[in-house]
Amino acid sequence: MRPFLFSKSSAINQALAKKNNTTQYIAGGTNLVDLMKKNIAEPESLVDITSTLSAKIEPTAKGLQIGAMVRNTALANDATVMAKFPLVSKAILAGASPQIRNMASTGGNLLQRTRCPYFYDVTTPCNKRKPDSGCSAIHGENRMNAIVGYSEQCVAVHPSDLCVALAALDATVKTQDKSGKTQSIAFKGFHRLPGTTPEKDNNLPANALIHSIELTENSFAKNCAYVKVRDRDSYAFALVSVAAALNLKGNQIVEARLASGGVAHKPWRWFEAEQFLKGKTANAANFEAAANIAIKGLKPLSHNGFKVLMLKGAIETALQQCLNP
Amino acid sequence: MGFFDEPYDLPTAADGRVEGVAKVTGGGKYAAEYKVDGLCHAVLVGSTIAAGKIKSFNLDNAKQVAGVLGIITHLEKPLVPGLADEAKIKEARLGLAVFHTDKIFFKGQPIALVIADTLEDATYAASLVTAEYEKEPAKLDFELALKNIQLTPAGKDRGNIEALNSAPHSVEAEYNIKAEVHNPMEMHATIAEWKADDKLKLFDKNQGVNNVQRTFAKLFNIPVDNIEVISEFVGGGFGSGLRVWPHALACIMAAKLVKRPVKLMLTRPQMFHSVGYRPAAWQKIKLGANADGKFVGIHHQAKNGTSVYENFNEGITRVTRLIYHFNNLKAEAATVPLNLSTPTWMRGPGDCTGDFAIESAIDELSYKLKMDPVALRMKNLALEKHPDNGLPWSTNYINECIEKGAQMINWKDRKATHSQTIEGDWSIGYGMAVGAWNAGRGTASAGIQMQKDGTITVQTAMTDIGTGTGISMQNIAHESTGISKSKIKIELGNSNLPPAPSQGGSNGLSSIGGAVVAAVSALKLKIAEYATMQNEAFKNAAAADILLSDTGVSFKTTNNHFISYTSLWEKNNLNILEVEASSGPGAERQKFAFCSSAAHFCKVRVNRKTGKVKIERLVTVSDGGKIISEKAAANQMSGAAVGGIGMALMEEQLTDERLGTLVGNDFAGYHFPVNADAPIIEVAFINKPDPNINPQGSKGLGEVGIIGTAAAIANAIYNATGKRLRDLPITPDKVLLA
Repeated sequence: MRPFLFSKSSAINQALAKKNNTTQYIAGGTNLVDLMKKNIAEPESLVDITSTLSAKIEPTAKGLQIGAMVRNTALANDATVMAKFPLVSKAILAGASPQIRNMASTGGNLLQRTRCPYFYDVTTPCNKRKPDSGCSAIHGENRMNAIVGYSEQCVAVHPSDLCVALAALDATVKTQDKSGKTQSIAFKGFHRLPGTTPEKDNNLPANALIHSIELTENSFAKNCAYVKVRDRDSYAFALVSVAAALNLKGNQIVEARLASGGVAHKPWRWFEAEQFLKGKTANAANFEAAANIAIKGLKPLSHNGFKVLMLKGAIETALQQCLNP
Repeated sequence: MGFFDEPYDLPTAADGRVEGVAKVTGGGKYAAEYKVDGLCHAVLVGSTIAAGKIKSFNLDNAKQVAGVLGIITHLEKPLVPGLADEAKIKEARLGLAVFHTDKIFFKGQPIALVIADTLEDATYAASLVTAEYEKEPAKLDFELALKNIQLTPAGKDRGNIEALNSAPHSVEAEYNIKAEVHNPMEMHATIAEWKADDKLKLFDKNQGVNNVQRTFAKLFNIPVDNIEVISEFVGGGFGSGLRVWPHALACIMAAKLVKRPVKLMLTRPQMFHSVGYRPAAWQKIKLGANADGKFVGIHHQAKNGTSVYENFNEGITRVTRLIYHFNNLKAEAATVPLNLSTPTWMRGPGDCTGDFAIESAIDELSYKLKMDPVALRMKNLALEKHPDNGLPWSTNYINECIEKGAQMINWKDRKATHSQTIEGDWSIGYGMAVGAWNAGRGTASAGIQMQKDGTITVQTAMTDIGTGTGISMQNIAHESTGISKSKIKIELGNSNLPPAPSQGGSNGLSSIGGAVVAAVSALKLKIAEYATMQNEAFKNAAAADILLSDTGVSFKTTNNHFISYTSLWEKNNLNILEVEASSGPGAERQKFAFCSSAAHFCKVRVNRKTGKVKIERLVTVSDGGKIISEKAAANQMSGAAVGGIGMALMEEQLTDERLGTLVGNDFAGYHFPVNADAPIIEVAFINKPDPNINPQGSKGLGEVGIIGTAAAIANAIYNATGKRLRDLPITPDKVLLA
């Protein structure tokens, strides 16, 4: 690990003033410290923003504002979150380990780097780590990698569970820049697909920090589920995960939300499948039909063909669990 | 005041580990935790290619880092007399003669060592060392490479394997197991300090201090006694500490170079290629039976991966000769050289791998025969004698293990055909398998020091790698002296103490138990000698005639000729009474065969939509002779069973031949089971002493806990789903696609 300077900031503009090309912010550090240990991130200085950003969960006119510094554990266990946005809580608790959740921040969860074993091995080519060096995964050990939305340059997947729930619930990311100006970015537009610039994971504006996440009240609290299929039952990234939420009127689906982790460079929404479920009866046949719509046209890599079948099963399972949450 | 600064005064539970309080309060010191004056730090630099030659180094950037004290490479290094020339290197049989070659055999192979005042500086400087290589093609794909390797006979054939061709029922199938990595919680580490030019002190993580001592005495051409090795607390080994690995030598070389004590601790990613692993294995089994279920024979072929610089044959077909009557048997094996580090013994080495294939094939055969797999095994067990060498078993209760296990899991609830029990998306099934291990014993020594107040300290060089050696020594000393456990202290894991074999191969307790008993006899005789001065009755007494208590010695019965230790010590002007004794195997080894065994029963749920396997119950019943410390023994068995879950469902070291690299060499990439993956393991013992193996009658347990577990799980998955999965690990994708 490269030696680095360390400082703390108590105000956002102060923290933003310190930022340059060789600076990185550190909150929970649960991803950045790993990257530094593996010489993937080599900042000259770190700015600790744990006392810069809000760690509060506050009600707003339309819903809830989650400060960027709210720890994952606090968010998962918050009474309002559990009552009104249980999908968020379920997703968080399916991720990482209690120790990591105790440290990890909400903002950091959004900004964690995508996963791919080759990205984590500096001795191998990786376009994300070193643009134009090549992608080792696309023809390598890509069992954990993407089945949709990838490019020739990168097949990594976004590892967050929380983000899958936030994507499903159409959250908003509120950012703040040096001048104090805030900007709201729709969640589905926050994370990027790799395209020809896989080194960029998200659309956080330069010289801005995530201030908070905003959730709007919805009718999905009653019937939602998070299903994560993984090689072991705790502290493992998803092979595939599904956040499902139904707004039901009796047996009829008024609106459905379906999002997945472990399939793409960003949390992935299955819009066509959601559209199909609208107005349908909530039953196994329609769930299976929706799952079939979702998996149509997916392009798995050499070692992850199973993800298509697994995704189908996970979508059906998640939708079924929505009925008996 | 922090948690660990709080004073504690916790009594050890009556049946708790002797080292338990020290471990849970942070008081126990693992190799890397000792404070040594003037200590500096060394960090290894690994090769970035898998095969070829080092052309040159660029050390300039690293040397400029403040605090760097020196850099070792094969070009610049302190002299290691035992590796001074090619002939000596060959003779040393070290495997990898670290820093004594320009050849690269695997990625991560140490090419340089950076020594600095602080760990941070050493780590940073190490990251700046680069090398130019002459790259050669590398082989890392086991399944590809094995196709060109010829099998050779593994032991003598029995009968004629052609008999299999006319067997009315048979199974022929191939089995693949991915490489697994030990990854004990404590990473391997060494602190080396040269006390003089020819005197070395080591704090080292290993499973046998005397082995470390002997190895370095030879390499540095100094007397064995000039090397002190301290390994008092070992945070797990699973076999990874049975060899002396390059990093320990590197650390000692560094201490020689900078003339200061040096600490070298492997990083977790380095653990994946520095201290061995269970090699990948391919097997083919042909198994046949008559209509009544009697086995006709078995043809077992096996290949395991090894390195290109050393041959490691895992002995996969050894277990084929151990458990069942196979009148016709043919075993063949081969090793497959790869550009990886050398594999080594990992819990249940060889047998664990071979047993998976055999026990899977037997299960498959049971369905063809329409016979209960328990009944099929019972019909074919070799219960009287070792089927290979013909010696009668001293004891073999594998049948009782099976009976008890079947009862515990309610085997009668198992359906005779697959896919019969469905709950929603889940299919439920039962499976079982057995395992056995040749039960060994080595020659070990133990010492006892006795104080005037009747307190004794029982000592051995043997390590306790978490297996419960210490508590078991205390229990044996208590049983054989009569002195209360609270007055018995244990000291171990130090080469200054009486020598003992390494803790491995399920031989630890079997070996040290006899030594403790022998030391107790020596103590009794010594006490009798002094007691004779006060009372003629003790003259020429045999050890069996002497009874010790917390307060004194008596002849045969506690009230007969009682002499208090106080009076004995005062009359004889004693300070500390010291004895040492050795004990080892003898003629019984020519008369009997010895084995430990276990039966594993499993109930699984398999999700048909996601491929997820959940282990609902796992029962392990074992025959380890007399159980000396039930809690420690049960802990061994449940730990082994969890290891078996890992082998069955998730552990796999992936490689990438194109890039010559391991893939996912960290705990996010390499999965071993956590609590969420394991039910409470249900453990039971037959607990009948073996009268011949050693004085305490106990047979080793470490291995049998995992031998058979993976097959029991795979067999349960078949019973639940009808999917016969022969490749480990059985990850959800395999279940889904099968």
